[in-house]
Amino acid sequence: MFRIVLPVFVALAIAIAGGAWSVRYALDRGFGMETLTVGSWRAYPDLGTPNASAYARATVGRRGELPLGRAEGLAFLASSDDIGAALERNCTYRIAGEMPIARFWTLYAVDPSMTPLPPIGIRPAALQSSAVLHEADGAVAVTASPNPSQGNWLPLSGSGRMILVFGLYDTPIASSTEISRVVLPRVSKLGCE
Amino acid sequence: MTRLLYAMLIGVVGAGVVHAIVLLLLPNYSERDAWARLSANADFYRFTRMSGEGAPPVIRGVDPFFDAVACRFDLSEGVVHVQAAGHVPFWSVSVYDRRGQNIYSLNDRAQTLGDLDLVLVTPAQMIELRKDVPKEFEKSVFVEADVGQGIVTVRSFVPDATWKKAVADYLDQARCAPR
Repeated sequence: MFRIVLPVFVALAIAIAGGAWSVRYALDRGFGMETLTVGSWRAYPDLGTPNASAYARATVGRRGELPLGRAEGLAFLASSDDIGAALERNCTYRIAGEMPIARFWTLYAVDPSMTPLPPIGIRPAALQSSAVLHEADGAVAVTASPNPSQGNWLPLSGSGRMILVFGLYDTPIASSTEISRVVLPRVSKLGCE
Repeated sequence: MTRLLYAMLIGVVGAGVVHAIVLLLLPNYSERDAWARLSANADFYRFTRMSGEGAPPVIRGVDPFFDAVACRFDLSEGVVHVQAAGHVPFWSVSVYDRRGQNIYSLNDRAQTLGDLDLVLVTPAQMIELRKDVPKEFEKSVFVEADVGQGIVTVRSFVPDATWKKAVADYLDQARCAPR
């Protein structure tokens, strides 16, 4: 009796636990989705479109998001810096370089559940293109740090992991023809507290 | 022992089957998806805020520089007229099906007539409407969406705090009405 029940039980347990875990793992890692990677930035242009894969469809349902349409814009996410280390809320980062073509852009920091970081005083942990200092050649340098810094300061607070979101609005990048030659600023770590 | 190894092998194959089933069923049975969250907040044909200050957001991942509203509709009950009048720095509209798949989007540059004025129709309703376009739809952009139920969103950019009230007022008067 036992010799029959045990193998059946083992097979069922592996199937159910393994199946559920593997779906969760795949969705957490963004597996099986059309990904556009530029430096440390990632975007999922097909997310929420009719072309989306089964993984992208499941991700939309699970996260409870309504992804931006192509005519609206495209959001790039960075969860690591240019050498691959995870972004931390108590570190200082320099986000600098040429900005892509868009009517305007926003840059903000969120926690892993996609909730924006709290503001410091009246300064939100968010910047947008018309309210930042641009250099003569159009490039922009932003310092994301828990400490006030000169120039464009993105105030960070708290501790733990964070994700930087770079939202491009009304941009030709979102339409697939331009997607291969996208320039985005580099994210480099300057130090930690 | 051989029997146990054999069982484990079957388990791994079974895990693959379960993986595929869960993946395909997840969008249909998610209780946390955008539709479920919006249903808890507002009835059909009512624009409701996607993120609120202080309160936890209804829809996650909305840009903090944006004020955005969403409305659930059902095309099987007739066409839907989406309107918003006024001047804001940027607005964009997206139409989603019930599962949150984006079907159509446009922004303020695309609608050269000025104010946001969309009519969502199914292909069958479009054929009917072409015969005799009602006066109120003369300036409207027709969007064919072959879906039953769906969600339409209007997002508007808030460059700084001085725009907050103007943008909120703009979205407050946005209408999404069945015809």
